[in-house]
Amino acid sequence: MSPTIATSVPLERRLANFRATRGEAGWGRLSLPRPGGLAERIAAALGGEMVRGQTGTFIRIEAAVEHLPLDRTGLARLPGHPGEDVPLLCLDTETTGLGTATGTVVFLVGLGWWEGPSFRRVQLVLPDHADEPAFLNALRDLIPSGAWLVTYNGRAFDWPLLVTRYRLDRRPPPISAGHLDLLPFIRRVFRHRLPDARLRTVEVALLGGYRHGDVESWQIPAIYIDMLRGGPVEPLRAVARHNVEDVRSLARLLAYSARLGDPVGRAAAERGDLAGLARGYARERRQAEALACLDAALAGDEQSPAWPSAREDRTSRLERQRLLAERAWTLRRLGQFDEAIASWRDLAHEGGPLVPLALIELAKGLEWRQRDPAGALRATDQAGSLADRARQLGRPLPLLEREVSRRRRRLLARLARQNRHLVGSQAG
Amino acid sequence: MRHYSPASTDTVLGTLLEEPSIARGVVHHATIASRPGRYSELPPWLDERIRTGLASRGIEQLYRHQALAVEAIRAGEDVVVVTPTASGKSLCYSLPILQAVADDPSARALCLFPTKALGHDQVAEFSALSAASGLAISTATYDGDTPAPIRSAIRTAGQVVATNPDMLHAAILPHHTKWFQLFEQLRIIVVDELHTYRGVFGSHVANVLRRLLRLCDHYGSRPVIVCCSATIANPAELARTLTGRPARLVDENGAPSGDRHVLLVDPPLLEASTGVRASALTLSQRWALPFLRAGRQTIVFGRSRTAVELLLTGLREALREGFGPRSRVRGYRAGYLPTERRAIERGLRDGEVLGVVATNALELGVDIGQLDVSVLAGYPGSVAATWQQFGRAGRRQETSVAVLVATAAPVDQYVIHHPEFLLSGSPEEARLDPDNLHVLLGHLKAATFELPFRPGETFGSGTADELLAFLAEEGHVRQAADGRWYWSSENFPASAISLRTAAQENVVIIDTTPDRPQAIGEVDLFAAQTLVHEGAIYLHESAQFHVDRLDWDERKAYVRRVDVDHYTQADRAVTLKPLDVFGRDAVAGGARLHGEVMVASLASIYKKLKFLTNENLGWGRIHLPEIELQTTAYWLAGEGLTGWRRTELDVALLGAGRAIQTVASVLLMVDPHDLGLVTQVRSPHEEAPTIYLYETVPGGVGLSERLFARHDHLIAGASALIGGCPCDAGCPACTGPRLEPDLDAKGLAARLLGELGAPEVLTAG
Repeated sequence: MSPTIATSVPLERRLANFRATRGEAGWGRLSLPRPGGLAERIAAALGGEMVRGQTGTFIRIEAAVEHLPLDRTGLARLPGHPGEDVPLLCLDTETTGLGTATGTVVFLVGLGWWEGPSFRRVQLVLPDHADEPAFLNALRDLIPSGAWLVTYNGRAFDWPLLVTRYRLDRRPPPISAGHLDLLPFIRRVFRHRLPDARLRTVEVALLGGYRHGDVESWQIPAIYIDMLRGGPVEPLRAVARHNVEDVRSLARLLAYSARLGDPVGRAAAERGDLAGLARGYARERRQAEALACLDAALAGDEQSPAWPSAREDRTSRLERQRLLAERAWTLRRLGQFDEAIASWRDLAHEGGPLVPLALIELAKGLEWRQRDPAGALRATDQAGSLADRARQLGRPLPLLEREVSRRRRRLLARLARQNRHLVGSQAG
Repeated sequence: MRHYSPASTDTVLGTLLEEPSIARGVVHHATIASRPGRYSELPPWLDERIRTGLASRGIEQLYRHQALAVEAIRAGEDVVVVTPTASGKSLCYSLPILQAVADDPSARALCLFPTKALGHDQVAEFSALSAASGLAISTATYDGDTPAPIRSAIRTAGQVVATNPDMLHAAILPHHTKWFQLFEQLRIIVVDELHTYRGVFGSHVANVLRRLLRLCDHYGSRPVIVCCSATIANPAELARTLTGRPARLVDENGAPSGDRHVLLVDPPLLEASTGVRASALTLSQRWALPFLRAGRQTIVFGRSRTAVELLLTGLREALREGFGPRSRVRGYRAGYLPTERRAIERGLRDGEVLGVVATNALELGVDIGQLDVSVLAGYPGSVAATWQQFGRAGRRQETSVAVLVATAAPVDQYVIHHPEFLLSGSPEEARLDPDNLHVLLGHLKAATFELPFRPGETFGSGTADELLAFLAEEGHVRQAADGRWYWSSENFPASAISLRTAAQENVVIIDTTPDRPQAIGEVDLFAAQTLVHEGAIYLHESAQFHVDRLDWDERKAYVRRVDVDHYTQADRAVTLKPLDVFGRDAVAGGARLHGEVMVASLASIYKKLKFLTNENLGWGRIHLPEIELQTTAYWLAGEGLTGWRRTELDVALLGAGRAIQTVASVLLMVDPHDLGLVTQVRSPHEEAPTIYLYETVPGGVGLSERLFARHDHLIAGASALIGGCPCDAGCPACTGPRLEPDLDAKGLAARLLGELGAPEVLTAG
């Protein structure tokens, strides 16, 4: 005979005792009756249309169509962006939590796409947990299989969460041709003028304008959950407005970036943007385009005001020198070695904090590309004397010192080998 | 004995037992005769590649238990394998997994190990076997140390995933959609070291498994569950409670073994009035030394880090005096680097390391091969652990020796004076209660988060609706229009549950020793009162920590690593009030009961006690508020007791209660601190003298009901413990520290137990 381990006291009795001791905490007030006709009320509050299907009900809201032309040719030239003919679908979700684990529900999806120069936006709202199959079906129908998704941080959040919702329903997630997450691109290109990369910050910094009365992201889950438990429907309006604005921002960010894809149009862009764009091209090994961006950035520099303050001058000079260094590297990657060496030489002559770097790069180029070890040694020695001076000033540059001594030793050995017969004959 | 010539284990043991000072301490000497191996052919259906792999590792046939287990798993039956250490348990599950993947490469298996180290060890072993079989099986451990980029690869492509219950609970189950390939094709779940899943931890893990199986159901898989356990009294029942499904018991050990001597040793009594005994450490060294000098591989187990260091120093010192193999004796405990540990394990396997002094870090299945001698300095707390430590010595052919040296602690004394406990089948039951509401409700939240509940769906022992309705009142879940229950909160419920504590409000223990302080554990409030009050010595993984500051409002205890020779013990002032009686039954002298109680506890004072001898070194005050604990209890009301003087009854109740508490902790495999004792000369509830044993875990883990059921054993055991103790009139080893020096606590407690129906015992005192 084997007694069962779990206690034979029925769970109900234990629950009653458990409840009795917890009763004083004042629980129970949240036990509200299930609100009827919630979908109707949401539809009415948000000005949407209630769509009833076999698997449930959802609400569909059409926003006013907006004239928002997008330069697809320019956009297609940007690194990591889809080709001209690919349909784009902007997507943004509102959820009951921050994680992508299974208990977080997507209750609102905002979608936006172009029909010619017009930007159309549609929102789907989930009125109750039970209606999720219908909601997900409707969403699937709105995602054309050949389209690219456009999101902000959607690779890490919105899309994995939607995939979770489909998988939980034991259905494959919708297929899209690609996913353009604007966050990394925006961060790479515009970081020099962004305090952080949140969509709201980006809007203010790049597109201008501040959303007044916008709901805070952290408030959103509670608004929805509260509504499900019988709370008011009206606060959801602010959430829907917030979402539709986010979708609009995605479209405007695309239009804003597309400008940089036009080689003529980009001439007016900020120097930092062009440098960032060059980094973006370089990441995709599109070196010629990176070079063009750097050239445009350096050309724009000549039009800067004639008498800037001394401090601005110093920073802008350093910025320009960085661009020059970037340009020299790009030249080398393009195989234009002589031009690269010339650039390093120019940079070394200019003075400033990048001189040691320029000298070392110059030495590399002279040694390996121009077979001039003696010239390389001269450049290395110059860098060495800079390192010595830095040490005397109490600001040693240990990395540079190591680099100089190693390179010097090797160059001397190479020179010794080259001159062996000469040295030998002298000794003889 | 100063000779270092190699000698056989038999010879050394013979010489040792001829020495009167040693022989006198031997309380019991049993010889377990050698046993030939019982073998079975490899099953005919086994893949040719696996056969080749086994052959390359020298395996041509299986032990009987392996063959039985493998066939049952093949037939789709859940299995619980119970055989001693190093009997080839892991092959019982490795073969079916290999075969499943050989048949169908999309098949998956999930292995649960209680510790990270064990997981890594088993994965390495499994990988070696699968490589030898030429099967390219993707095997990986998924734990807190797994780097993020590798995690996603394991999720989608890991065929055999080893993890621990905490990781399964917090990282895998809540993200199950990212693991859908695993869940859809899950064929085998392995639960190794089953016996460690008891008490609060076991109650949690049972619920984690409920959640796991519920998800398997969702994804349409029905995996076989293979449990492996050390020897306990109720393995099949434990497996059933833990997994919720019946399992076939495989306990016919087919591995061969040589003769084995088991010796139970008691250090000499120094003072009969206080029960002070000589040090168990010194005696353990005396037992280990001759074997080491004779070149026999020996392992010595200490109960704490300090004990290990003392033993190690002592042994090396003694060996140095005579230029012995000093450098071949090593220490092994938590806190050593993994590479250091691996080197010692390897050294033990190839014989380079002759002796090792270890904490229970070496108790679980880490592979160190088989040694000649195992010496335990102190009872490790359970019969199962004792045999796991004994099992480290045991050659297939030659004689091996296992020695248990008792300390003066009551449980130690009880165990060695009742050799039948260790030798004739384990009496220990592993207990857990998956329906403890504190535990159950937390996991029900997590389960709802993972997958909505259908109306009428069961979770564990019954339908979940009523419990879900309760959670809905608290606002965590809601019932939608389709009748299903959905998670409706922004929170992530798994993060609120710690698998080691029952209640959700815990004190976090923060180690301030390293430059960056880190959390090393959690204790619930009730335990915090006596474990982490300011000035306490807190033991964690055999290391000692001094509690510098306890921030009660913030629920944080700041500790610092120390090495001291004492521990602390706090006294609680406890009042207890029964809330609900679940069971009542008349017994000799009164009635036994069990039910729910409310315990109010105030800790006000603590003592510093020396390790091993339990000498009192001083005391301190505790300044903490009173706390209440709702839990379950077993109690004994002496309604039929007559003719007692009040003062005597007080002493008798306390003495008998202490002895019952000791016996209960042995029977139910729990730490003595897991059961609290309250005695009342006249209980307001029962209106009679009463002994209460309450569970210190909120809600209890099912111990009380078992104590109620085993009432007769408790009374008889307590009576035997007191009767068998060599002290004069009560000592810490039987009736507890003497509070009334003029009264004969021992005699009074024995008389009380007699009136409560204890059989006549011969007293040794």
